Amino acid sequence: MLIVDALDVDINGTPILRDIGLEIKTGEIIGLIGRNGAGKTTFLRSVMGLLPINSGKIDFDDHALHSLPGHRRAHLRIGYMPEDRRLVPEMTAEENILLPVWSTNIDGYEDRLNWIYKIIPECEKFRTMAANSLSGGQQKLVALGRALMVGHKLLLLDEPTEGIAPVLAQRMGEILASLKKEGVSIIIAESNDAHVANVIDRTYVIERGSIVSN
Amino acid sequence: MLRDTTSKVVLFGGIAIILLGAIMPNWIVNQLMFGFSRALAILGLLVLWRTGLVSFGHAFYFGLGAYTVAIVDIQLGVTDVFVRLFGGAIIAGIAGFIIGFIMRNYRDIFFAMLNTAISMVLYGIIVKTESLGSTDGFAISLPTIFGIAPETKYPLFIIITMIAMISALLINFYLKTTVGRLTTPIRDNEIRVEYLGFSVAHAIHLKYTISAVLAGGAGALMAMSLGQVDPDSMINWTVSGELVFITILSGPGNVIAPFIGSLVFEVLRTYAFELAPQAWQLIVGATFLTVIFFLPGGIWSLIAKLGRKKS
Repeated sequence: MLIVDALDVDINGTPILRDIGLEIKTGEIIGLIGRNGAGKTTFLRSVMGLLPINSGKIDFDDHALHSLPGHRRAHLRIGYMPEDRRLVPEMTAEENILLPVWSTNIDGYEDRLNWIYKIIPECEKFRTMAANSLSGGQQKLVALGRALMVGHKLLLLDEPTEGIAPVLAQRMGEILASLKKEGVSIIIAESNDAHVANVIDRTYVIERGSIVSN
Repeated sequence: MLRDTTSKVVLFGGIAIILLGAIMPNWIVNQLMFGFSRALAILGLLVLWRTGLVSFGHAFYFGLGAYTVAIVDIQLGVTDVFVRLFGGAIIAGIAGFIIGFIMRNYRDIFFAMLNTAISMVLYGIIVKTESLGSTDGFAISLPTIFGIAPETKYPLFIIITMIAMISALLINFYLKTTVGRLTTPIRDNEIRVEYLGFSVAHAIHLKYTISAVLAGGAGALMAMSLGQVDPDSMINWTVSGELVFITILSGPGNVIAPFIGSLVFEVLRTYAFELAPQAWQLIVGATFLTVIFFLPGGIWSLIAKLGRKKS
């Protein structure tokens, strides 16, 4: 469903990604594992259209993603959870989760919201709380909920278990395992696969901007 | 749409001001007309400022609105206040929409100065063109209302106050809609807005066009209140600076803020001029510095603080 071919990306003239090739099939969960600075975030951002690419192709179903503006991804049902959460601080947890609904006019979003609350009951617990009153780990769960709201087909998760309490990291692993049963395709970028090893179908290892093994 | 406190204050405050206008002395009515007219442009700048954008060239749209009134008056003999007002706002809006395709790609100082550049092009054209009044400008005939020529300025004052009320209510409503609520998230982080499915370029284009319509309407109303237009008081970069000054003085907290800020500015300028005709800018400048140092959220932050203490 997502095929990335010969992707090259520079940031301010410095080559960050070189000749990246990657493929994910429907319902598959793949891990993109690499150290800090290997290019994981740059790769996810390139797929999301948040960074201009130099050359290469990113195809998603029948769409050439590399020629579409960034904001069209949500309309194609691709959800993204950035590493640093990026919730809107003055909105409640639920409003944050619903933000992409307002832009993409998803039909039957109430069912989707209830489904998210079923998979991540924590989100329902703090639905009326302002995002900036939640802990870092709790915010990550809300950010995951927000990514799930549009991510019917594909989810890109940037270090979902990084920098949060071990209990929450383990919880995140459980949530991802339950998503596996739902048939969503997921790319998980992590520096190590400690908490996610049991949910990942295949692993790509990225080093200094290139895929070294899969 | 009218349930929140801000809308109620706008509605009842506006009606109270209209009623009080009947018994207020002429000079106060004049100050209110100038203040409310200019406040419309500030309202537009507030929408932009909430997104983190400051335009140092909105006198372009202000002047476009004002000169539209002058030209339809002189060339076509249009005197109706609404035709003049909407003419000015629509012309400015169309210009804003077209220029918006360029502006939506720029941020920060580039956005601010590109607007200045465009306004100075218009200033230059008008100053050099005899048929557009050159540096002298034009006198504008008194507006009529549905064919009736009023004897005092009070009917025009009522119309200006009502237009101000309606604009404040609409902008207040807009800021609560989805695209409106995205103003602050765009300022904080554009990328986030993109992957949530919103186009930042489209959102900024819309806000820019709204601000152009409001500035055009403001210019049209100001031209009719003053009874004349000239490039130095309508399009010059100092006018843009004045608009930014009042925006900062008012604060971005609420749609009522521009109206209070504009009135404070009108009064401040009048008294500063009376006190020191040669150096009134000194007093205005000192006030500006005081506001920046002690009230970074503008006059509105003071009112918000008082409101919080009461409740």
